[in-house]
Amino acid sequence: MNVAMHLGLLRTMLLIRRLETAWADAYFQEEIGGIPPALSTGQEAVSAGACAALEPGDYVFTTHRGQAPQVARGLDPKRIMAELYCRRTGYNKGKSYHVTDVTRGVIGMGGIVAGQVPVAGGMALAQKLGRSDRVSMAFFGDGASNEGAVHETANLAAMWTLPLILLCENNGYCVTQPVAVAVKAVSIADRAAGYGLPAAVVDGNDPLVVYDAVAAAVARARAGGGATLIEAKTVRLGGHLAHDPQSYRSKEELAAAWEQCPIKRMRERLLAEGLLTAEGYARMEAAVEGEVAAAVEFARQSPFPEPREAFDDLWA
Amino acid sequence: MFDRRLFRPGGPVPQREREWPSFRGAINEAMREEMRRDPAVFQMGEDIAGASPFGVTARLVTEFGTERVRDTPCSEVAVVGAAVGAAMGGMRPIVEFQFGDFLSVAIDQLTHQAAMLRYLTGGQVKVPIVIRLPCGGGQGAGSQHSQSLYSWFAHAPGIKVALPATSMDAKGLMKSAIRDDNPVLFFEHKALYRTRWPAPAEFRDPNHVIPFGRAAVRRIGDDLTVVATLTMVHHALAAAEALAKEGVSVEVIDPRTLVPLDTETIIQSVRKTGRLLAVDEAYLTCGIQGEVIALVTEHAFQALKVAPRRLGNPGVPVPFAPPLEDAVLPDQERITSAIRDMVSA
Ligand SMILES: Cc1ncc(C[n+]2csc(CCOP(=O)(O)OP(=O)(O)O)c2C)c(N)n1
Ligand SMILES: [Mg+2]
Repeated sequence: MNVAMHLGLLRTMLLIRRLETAWADAYFQEEIGGIPPALSTGQEAVSAGACAALEPGDYVFTTHRGQAPQVARGLDPKRIMAELYCRRTGYNKGKSYHVTDVTRGVIGMGGIVAGQVPVAGGMALAQKLGRSDRVSMAFFGDGASNEGAVHETANLAAMWTLPLILLCENNGYCVTQPVAVAVKAVSIADRAAGYGLPAAVVDGNDPLVVYDAVAAAVARARAGGGATLIEAKTVRLGGHLAHDPQSYRSKEELAAAWEQCPIKRMRERLLAEGLLTAEGYARMEAAVEGEVAAAVEFARQSPFPEPREAFDDLWA
Repeated sequence: MFDRRLFRPGGPVPQREREWPSFRGAINEAMREEMRRDPAVFQMGEDIAGASPFGVTARLVTEFGTERVRDTPCSEVAVVGAAVGAAMGGMRPIVEFQFGDFLSVAIDQLTHQAAMLRYLTGGQVKVPIVIRLPCGGGQGAGSQHSQSLYSWFAHAPGIKVALPATSMDAKGLMKSAIRDDNPVLFFEHKALYRTRWPAPAEFRDPNHVIPFGRAAVRRIGDDLTVVATLTMVHHALAAAEALAKEGVSVEVIDPRTLVPLDTETIIQSVRKTGRLLAVDEAYLTCGIQGEVIALVTEHAFQALKVAPRRLGNPGVPVPFAPPLEDAVLPDQERITSAIRDMVSA
């Protein structure tokens, strides 16, 4: 058993949670405005586990709920937060909160649901044509799974044996719509058979299970075995966006969902297995809090872009 | 002029709704009346029965049920296509997009199917659909949730385009849109949703409609004609008000529909004032502003005292950070300074 890896996954999940909480706080305190934050609260295990199975040179394409994979791939929380505060020091220079860091293989494409999936297929095509053994991974939601773009890409990836991981993060909802009234199939991964792709359905609230499934898909893709569809079943604990009061979910449903909180589950397991102590967890929390506080401070101190910068970066 | 608090709490104030109906309430009211009048009218969209982002369909499901107020999966191609087919089958669907920008995903179903089928079938079918498209910037909603894309669709033959700027127009134009036998795109500027406007008596009349193709002269003036749509109408009116104090008399025309466009009213006005400024949030290149200027130049070239001008997004995506967003959108100040330049030229 790899203790460091297990602790690392817990820490990643905690950093995602706390960084996003600070982002939501900034929104509620009206330090930032505009479209409200899309938080990954409850879904941290998917990004933590999936990104741990990747290496430098691999790419992920994120959704509107994109901060979790940014953190999980090791992006600098300071520059993530600066972008969320619309500052020039943010990764995208204040242009878009779908944070991108090409050097770390994170492409932020959250504006149009499912828009990132065909593009991830294209990056996988470039990786294949370039004869590298690198892979691409497209995050997409249960809602996005009903877009034509996903189906077309799955077929293309199957036909062209692309090194692509189609990672469906099924959090049970598309805004207010439960997945049960949007998808007739028993599971989204069931569709893989129709495309001729291998598939797996995994517990998306256990980062180790997600890791194992993605690692297997990555190994297959690196070896030239093509694409895989993975459905990670998870739970959205917060609203669709931070301001959503979730009037369409019952108290009981939410209470049950919180029982499945991936951070709670992982912490309790590591404590039970003796791999983590209460003091050790407190130290981890304190370190994470320090990192988040520094990120917020960095964002606050950073300047806004100048108006003329609106016209930069349109053309290559 | 318009606040940036689109996503903040600040619900409807029902007691004020009667004298000063809100923009979004007016659209809701129009759809409700038309659904009562005609059982063929029904709705499709994401979260429209539950909790649609801007609340325009609020409570329709309580009266009409989920058969006629249908929540759809996130499948825009299938939904626009379903609207086209249902319309050919005798229904009158209204489709809501959460943000109008997403119509980009379903353009084929709109421009090639909905818009062309009547023509291509030699007039055998009709496609009476309304697609509701929240649009516009200034809300910090990001580049793919802030555009004003009507120029794309005004360019395509067979699509009508409505752009209401007040509650009265929102209601009257929506009713015309629903009764129209052609595909209609109904653009709703997000900054207008919470605004309230005084309503004349006919606002309450379920038979009152505002016909397409008739511009509203919002202010009468002699020195310069501003043609503006949506929120820009109000920016232009504020500019006109301020300039009146400097002795500059500005006429403000709100076309209300781009297809059909009331060219006559615009041309008449420019014949009188000799100056034309076209203002819109649309991207300038191939934008609707240029179309207005071209029409006037073709028909009233001799009347022009100075070269017409246009204001709009100069051609970059609407950025996320507020200072950048402000840099690319026209506003009262830019309109005022353009008018000053033109009258002193
Ligand atoms: C093409 C398109 N349609 C609709 C939307 C509005 N929208 C934004 S997020 C979202 C929910 C998508 O649900 P899912 O894919 O399950 O992702 P989740 O929000 O659950 O992470 C929707 C419908 C959009 N951005 N783009
Ligand atoms: Mg979802």
